[in-house]
Amino acid sequence: MTADREARSASGPDPQDALERMLARLEAQRAWLDFAAERIAAVPGPVFELGLGKGRTYDRMRRVMADREIFAFDRELHCSPRLSPLPEHLFLGDFRDTLLAAAERFGRSVALVHADIGSEVPARDAAICRDIGPLIERVVRRQGLVLCDRPLPLSRPGWEPLPPPAAAATAGWPYFGWCRSR
Amino acid sequence: MSRLDSVIRRLQAQRICLDWATQAVAGRPGAILELGLGNGRTYDHLRQRCPEREIYAFERQLSAHPDCVPDDDHLFLGDLVDTLPAAARKLGRCAILVHCDIGTGDAARNARVASRIGPLIGNLVRPDGIVLSDQRLPVATAWQELALPDGVAAGRYFLYRVRARGGAE
Repeated sequence: MTADREARSASGPDPQDALERMLARLEAQRAWLDFAAERIAAVPGPVFELGLGKGRTYDRMRRVMADREIFAFDRELHCSPRLSPLPEHLFLGDFRDTLLAAAERFGRSVALVHADIGSEVPARDAAICRDIGPLIERVVRRQGLVLCDRPLPLSRPGWEPLPPPAAAATAGWPYFGWCRSR
Repeated sequence: MSRLDSVIRRLQAQRICLDWATQAVAGRPGAILELGLGNGRTYDHLRQRCPEREIYAFERQLSAHPDCVPDDDHLFLGDLVDTLPAAARKLGRCAILVHCDIGTGDAARNARVASRIGPLIGNLVRPDGIVLSDQRLPVATAWQELALPDGVAAGRYFLYRVRARGGAE
């Protein structure tokens, strides 16, 4: 047996591999976004996409929330021109700065924040969540929703965690949703 | 269809085809060749599905997640036109399964690459081996195109069985 095969046998079979993890993540995102689109149908206000990345979930959002104004946030623009928001719907820079600017501009009017900000560095993710949690709380209106791939610390009263929609539970990828009741 | 949906469909098709192919060759000896390691997702899937097989990956320029990179003995870096003949010299007709994932957004380039590497792949495949490709490959007389498994749209993948003589005739 070669070293490569020995290494693979020693580590044992993973419950999920990179292909299955990616599929589970994308399926969970789609299920949560579709759920959120229905849930906020009667809630006015713009939608924020934090972490535009390749623009995949943004593209889904602009289809299932077609008449909604969507603002996308990212450190830098990475997505293809076809998927890129118009410049007036794009906030580029550190979330801590751009969200603060957006909070000052929009106040507490936002119907949905989708924050897809996770990395492979848990300490970095926790620090970002700690910093952006209060800013998200400043912008989301009553009956508005927050979706995130990490457990956001939302400390003000009135946040209720949402059970995952069925298709997200089936996908088996951790994703978090909250509704603001007041 | 949104980009999110199209990526989900592509990954689902990959999983269905890879699972079908690994089942189809189960119990028969031979290595797996992964042409186009990319980010290493399908390589990772193959090694989880087939922990007992040797898997060789081919890539022009390494960009995979470090967890999804094979050791140096199982990695051929460079242009497939060079690395496939090098692998054939080193390994002979070793492969019971070849997964070819080489497509880019440039259809003309994809067709050109497919026409050049098809015969080179043939020199690496064992009798009755399976070739799964995201591009249509030029079919030598020994290659038989197979129907895709259920759930995979026509044209998404191409599936071949290579009979006794696999090389370019």
